[in-house]
Amino acid sequence: MSDSAAPPGFEEAFHQAAERHERVWVFIAIVLLSLLMAGTLFFVVLDYGVVVQTDGYRADPASVATTPPFADAALVRTGPNAYAVHMLAHLWTWTPSPLHVPQGAAITFYVTSSDVLHGFEVQGTTINVTAVPGIVGSVTYTFAHPGTYYIICNEFCGIEHQAMIGRIIVDPARPA
Amino acid sequence: MSAVVGRGIALPAVHADAAERRTMLAFLVWGFSALLIGAAIGPLQALNYGGIDAYPYLHPVLQTYYQGLTVHGVLNGYIFTFFITCGLLVYLPARELGLSPNMALWRLCLGTMAVGTLMLLYAMFDNSSSVLWTFYPPLKGSAFFYLGLTLVVVGSLLPLPIVLDLRARWKALRPGALTPLVTYMSAATMLMWLLAAIGAGIELVVQLDPWALGLTDTVDPMIGRTLFWWTGHPIVYFWLMPAYVSWYALLPKQAGGKLVSDPMARLTFALLLVFSLPVGSHHQYDDPGISPIWKGILAALTLSVALPSLITAFTLGLSLEYAGRLRGGRGWIGWFTALPWRNASVAAQVLAMLTFIFGGAGGIVNGSWQLDNLVHNTTWIPGHFHITVGTATAMTFMGVAFWMLPHLTGRAPFSPRLALASVWLWFVGMSVFALGMHWSGLHGVPRRAWVSYLPHSVYERVYGAAHLPLLLVAAGGVILWLATIAFYIVFAGSLFGRRLATPVAIPFAQAFGGKESYAIDDTEPAGVVADPHLSPLAKLLDHLGVLTLFTACVTLAAYIPIFWPFITHMTAAQGWKVW
Ligand code: HEM
Ligand SMILES: [Cu+2]
Repeated sequence: MSDSAAPPGFEEAFHQAAERHERVWVFIAIVLLSLLMAGTLFFVVLDYGVVVQTDGYRADPASVATTPPFADAALVRTGPNAYAVHMLAHLWTWTPSPLHVPQGAAITFYVTSSDVLHGFEVQGTTINVTAVPGIVGSVTYTFAHPGTYYIICNEFCGIEHQAMIGRIIVDPARPA
Repeated sequence: MSAVVGRGIALPAVHADAAERRTMLAFLVWGFSALLIGAAIGPLQALNYGGIDAYPYLHPVLQTYYQGLTVHGVLNGYIFTFFITCGLLVYLPARELGLSPNMALWRLCLGTMAVGTLMLLYAMFDNSSSVLWTFYPPLKGSAFFYLGLTLVVVGSLLPLPIVLDLRARWKALRPGALTPLVTYMSAATMLMWLLAAIGAGIELVVQLDPWALGLTDTVDPMIGRTLFWWTGHPIVYFWLMPAYVSWYALLPKQAGGKLVSDPMARLTFALLLVFSLPVGSHHQYDDPGISPIWKGILAALTLSVALPSLITAFTLGLSLEYAGRLRGGRGWIGWFTALPWRNASVAAQVLAMLTFIFGGAGGIVNGSWQLDNLVHNTTWIPGHFHITVGTATAMTFMGVAFWMLPHLTGRAPFSPRLALASVWLWFVGMSVFALGMHWSGLHGVPRRAWVSYLPHSVYERVYGAAHLPLLLVAAGGVILWLATIAFYIVFAGSLFGRRLATPVAIPFAQAFGGKESYAIDDTEPAGVVADPHLSPLAKLLDHLGVLTLFTACVTLAAYIPIFWPFITHMTAAQGWKVW
């Protein structure tokens, strides 16, 4: 670890150039980040589709398994082209699953857990909701393409966590 | 004794007494022993994602994947990093200032964390606490786990009073002088960690310790989780800032140059102190219960953390360029190739910095919510933090160990060539691994999943599309095993090498316009007033107390609206032991 000798004046010149460039760099960085920030906020305001909303609290999380709307939940029609389903995560399955939903309709998922934390991820979509015991969260999503989608639990929930895989089957819309 | 005699020959600028060196060595050995266990398990996890299940062969040491993963996360994420940091952030400032630290407190720090670590090991290896390193309730581990972790957290805060005391004593001897850089950076890091640790500290002491001891029956999962991320986000800066200390204050000297801007280093640390605290809940974009508006604000604020890192990239890049040009490097890229690449300590840290550029870019994706929705809790996330903490920090600490072991023990380093090999293997292994992890995350492969235990047909059906990236993950893991073996041969060999004739000095770098030494035990007379070159910015930033208070207020302001709905809608969840 030896210092190399600087030619006379080199350090001074380097130092001055460095300070000039430093100011430019900090300026660029701040502008860049401000733009990114503005962009982010813009998307947040514009695109609420994938954003988790809150739909109520339960003091006793275990009770949701045996009481409506989560007990024996199924897809219900809520509008001309809108449906909703109450999705319960519990050790180590998703209920209801498999779930049939129509292509091209707005599906609202109400998600909670009756035991530990789980994660409601639908592979290949932006759906990602933490299933929290005691809190119901919801997202709305429209499946554009028919096919089988896997619900994958992505929050560690114990020994069978990897096997907590459900299915959503998107049925093709009838040709108009 | 003078700091540097003439040009080219560096004499040891500073004398640590034997007790200080022994204690620092103990911190290093504890930290790297933890990493040894953690890094031995890591590749098993990589193989798991490649579809290879090694766990049936590991009975009775490890019973399940999740037990191993708990050990890996806790030992690497908490124990390794905390021990190294709590050593360095006392030892380096003490040597910079030429003062002796409060040894009783420092030993208490070591002892508290050591007892806590043993409790954690006991709780993890008997499989009573396979709750992973995030220990989200209502998963319920044994009391040893939570109490052990409580001790580790408390111990990790003890360097703060030690550093503040060093700083105060030095300032009393040099009225009007600004805090020297290494001490400044160490104090800023520890102050940040004090505010950060409050979250998990409350979670452990108020919620989980009494619950695990049977004093309370139920727990509120969401309050626990939110308190965890209060700490869980800034902890990444507790991992990173000690590496920055080495990059700013030591690496330029090791590379043969100087630090080009001391005020920018201070600005970086001050910004990290302020920005890292209030945004912890951006780890909860996908959680219900937190207002979307508030998440939007967090998403925007989170990006501001990129500013100090961009400054760092610039200042360190220039410092290395200066070193490279002094070494004869010419042209656009020549300065980079002219760096002392044969020095394993330099190579480790420069490669760590290069890797971190990618880590920072990935972090911007995670931070931006919309994109995060795609990658949240997929393998993308561990892919991201293995090139940040798992490489930028881990490899920097390895690089520090390469010069520090000889410095502390007075023994010759073991095989510098093997040391260099370990560094390159780690770099290549992590690059391949992280590429695979990020990529498979885009296919929706979840993190923390024992996928190799699934029936093969299910694995193929659900994750078949990610075949190639998952193979890369496994291959990277195997290379990392080789890197780990090489590194630990060097580490152990350096503890028992032959005695050196001349001691190895701490490579404190000089800043442009800065002084050779700030040490009180140097020949320099005490009472020198502030360096004329120090900028007004540096003077302003020396008010660390004000900065800390400001950060505390902002953090409270950010968290009160987040906690409000949870406190007014409490959940009483029972505990679950389901592994
Ligand atoms: C020897 C090289 C390493 C390999 C091959 C490796 C591999 C892995 C893998 C595959 C995972 C993801 C497991 C999962 O999500 O199921 C993981 C998780 C993790 N690793 Fe590493 N790792 C290594 C080194 C490190 C280092 C050096 C650190 C930190 C200093 C670290 C910290 C972590 C943490 C905190 C987790 C999260 C655990 C969790 O999700 O609960 N790893 N590692
Ligand atoms: Cu689950």
